[in-house]
Amino acid sequence: MTDNRNAWSHSVRPDGAGARRGLTRREFLKAGAAAASAALGAGLGARTAHAAGETIRVGLIGCGSTGVAAVRDCLRAPVLLGERAGRGVEVVALADPFEDRLEALGAELGVGTSRRFAGLDGYRELCALDGLDLVILAAPCAFRPVHLASAIEAGKNVFVVPPIAICPAGCKLVTESSAKAREKKLAIIVGSERRYDPATIETLKRVAEGAIGRIIAGQCYWNQGGLYVRPRRIGEGDVEWQLRNWRYFRWLSGDIIVERHVHNIDVINWAIGSGPERIHGLGGRQYRTAGEYGDVYDHFGVEFFYPNDVHVLSLCRQIDGSDERIGERLVGTKGTTDCRGRIEGENAWVYGGPGGDGRVRAFAAAIDAIRKGEPVNDAAAAVESAFTAVMARESAYTRLSFKRSWFAAKCTLNMLPPAGLALGAVRRVEPAPVPGVYQIPGAA
Amino acid sequence: MGDVPQGKGSLSIAAAAGAGLAAAQAIAPRAWAAGSDIIKVGLLGCGGRGNGALRDCLEADPGVVVVAVADLFEHKARGTKSGIENDGRFKGRVKIPDENVFWGFDCHEKLVKCDADLLLMATPPAFRGRQMLAAVQAGKHIFTEKPIATDPVGCREVLRASEIAAQKGLAIVAGTQRRHEPNRVELMKRIHDGEIGELVAGQCYWYGGGIWYRDNVGNMSELEWQCENWYHFTWLSGDQICEQHIHNIDVMNWCFGGPPVKFTAVGGRGCRDYSAQAKHVCRQLNGTEEGWERYNGDIWDHVLAEFEYPNGARVQSFSGHGPGSGRGGERVYGTKGTSDCWVSYWGEKSWKYQGRSVDGQKQEHVDLIASIRAGKPLNEGRQVAESTLTAIGGRIAAYTGRTITWDWLLKECKLSLVPPQEKLVPGPGFFHRIATGADELV
Repeated sequence: MTDNRNAWSHSVRPDGAGARRGLTRREFLKAGAAAASAALGAGLGARTAHAAGETIRVGLIGCGSTGVAAVRDCLRAPVLLGERAGRGVEVVALADPFEDRLEALGAELGVGTSRRFAGLDGYRELCALDGLDLVILAAPCAFRPVHLASAIEAGKNVFVVPPIAICPAGCKLVTESSAKAREKKLAIIVGSERRYDPATIETLKRVAEGAIGRIIAGQCYWNQGGLYVRPRRIGEGDVEWQLRNWRYFRWLSGDIIVERHVHNIDVINWAIGSGPERIHGLGGRQYRTAGEYGDVYDHFGVEFFYPNDVHVLSLCRQIDGSDERIGERLVGTKGTTDCRGRIEGENAWVYGGPGGDGRVRAFAAAIDAIRKGEPVNDAAAAVESAFTAVMARESAYTRLSFKRSWFAAKCTLNMLPPAGLALGAVRRVEPAPVPGVYQIPGAA
Repeated sequence: MGDVPQGKGSLSIAAAAGAGLAAAQAIAPRAWAAGSDIIKVGLLGCGGRGNGALRDCLEADPGVVVVAVADLFEHKARGTKSGIENDGRFKGRVKIPDENVFWGFDCHEKLVKCDADLLLMATPPAFRGRQMLAAVQAGKHIFTEKPIATDPVGCREVLRASEIAAQKGLAIVAGTQRRHEPNRVELMKRIHDGEIGELVAGQCYWYGGGIWYRDNVGNMSELEWQCENWYHFTWLSGDQICEQHIHNIDVMNWCFGGPPVKFTAVGGRGCRDYSAQAKHVCRQLNGTEEGWERYNGDIWDHVLAEFEYPNGARVQSFSGHGPGSGRGGERVYGTKGTSDCWVSYWGEKSWKYQGRSVDGQKQEHVDLIASIRAGKPLNEGRQVAESTLTAIGGRIAAYTGRTITWDWLLKECKLSLVPPQEKLVPGPGFFHRIATGADELV
């Protein structure tokens, strides 16, 4: 299998250092210069129409590794639209719970202190700014539905890093926000980079046209080694420590199958044309058992039952030293495909077009949509894929096989961040779910 | 090893055995004539499955008599002897002299010296390699329960025993009984004839409830207690994917005509908890609860594996014990249809088995005895060794987090879990920590 690494900042440290290395000094200087020139002008006056090539003013919510990677990709996007490097996009506002991150990224991007919004509620102030063309949602997954609602309410176009939600209540809130976005003619671009990767698009187009015949079965994988841990600092409160290591805490990330493997699940849903009808998962926490790893599992193995008797195996894992395999595979009556540029069998074919970087292309699509005033809306598919991953997680926690319709009707799980959450609050780490003990809320 | 046509070979042998049953009446080859002669059977392993296999074998052919029993424990060997002596169905066919009742860790060495023609092997699988080697060297036919090993070293011993058996004209039939169900034999013949096209995907499952735990130590030593609770220890049982799920994995290997070439798996132990009983056992053995965890066992409770077969097809294996929804059975997908690997297939062509239903656990003994009488001894040694090693490969891939190949597993893997025979004496047990999912490849 080829190296199909493709997620947001999956190879960077939780504090964003790796991603920051990925953004060259030259790019940062350019971005900073652009932002500075905007600041010298009339501030952020409200705008309604955009000419081609006009600069898009961006606000970023969540300045950790995911946000830094998103900004990097956003700044590169105008080049894909034929513009000169460093032009077309300005990052003009930042929100993050932590001052140190705002300071670091703000200084590098030239975002003035008046448009750096600290604290857990800083996103509200950012969303309320006049003249923002696009808000990037890159906070820990649990916050994204809430941030989306706030941004749409404030009349902003949104770019959201997947997963778009980690629980049914989050999915519902996103769907409501999506409807409002349509009414307000606002764009919601979801950074599912494979949806914007030309090789994937062309491959799945061919699959839809029958290149591998009728789909019989499939596999998807996100097996990788471990991630970095940011050690707890002396005096660091529970919530701050967990936020800075949010991938390890279910209430923030939704566990690894939702936070990460959703990318591959999304490709399978896309290729097959729907989510699965039934699900049965297994999983556990076998290797990453230390407290610093919070309460997430380190592996899942799930069987998805799609319509027409198509079974898809999903494996995901984060264990140090284990073998990596990231990607998808579909098996049809006439051949197989890796879903990203290769078809084997009767209609063997290899993609020869322009290369990937779907993340940058997703931003280019967002910029293009804003300039053209086309309210592109990716939310529905992203909700379905998030919902699929959530079902898989809940199935693995209970080892129950259940139908989508049953889960959708019964499950009342609400993992939206608690109201009044404070950085200094006490928040004990939950035990990882134990099958036979854990019960799906509302479905017990 | 691993060449595709192997399973078809097994199939044709199985078919030949069926024919052999008729042929045996007429040809009367070798020592056995026309079903009238006696076949003397010795039982190795007097637990539930051993007693079941003994009765299945006695029912398979009126010429079978039982002449010896052996077990780790004297009371089990004696209990099996008196139990079968008092079973009215087998009057006159139980002829076990007292000197043919064996017990102890070396009971198989004593058993192979008795005058049995056929040994039924139903001890925990860890010891099967050395047992089978001793048996074929002593010229015994073998019925062996599955799996036949818990590590690659044990599988290689059985492959060697299988070769010796072939040279000596000895039978080896294994308790992977699905191979002896006429519905599946007929179905597989059709699948191999291409009725559902090329096989491109499959699934096999065995996820069920928990298992027994024997917490009454009595006068057993620690090792004897461990052997009594063998399922809970990977070195003794091979873990559930090997001990139980092998049935389904064997069907997949049968479909694809041999073992997979590549293994990837995840798994763990999330809720297999016998802590109350383990503490009780610890108190009995050591007078304290300190160190009770070892008696909790070290097997996992779930493994999700992927097997990649030589033609590129990937098969999903779903196994474990615990709460939630049970799963069982197999499925195989071809380019032209799908089969339940049991009684039917559907798609471009469809078919459903209409014949009578036969219990494979009984039929395997019928086929075994018939093949011996026919002078065409079945030899399933390689097939069951390959299926055992397939299951072990899934386990190793899961325990280590590594993708491994069949060639490595068969030729290079040094994993050897079973202590040498001389270390198997009543005394301390052998304990390993629970696998982490990142264990080193051995």
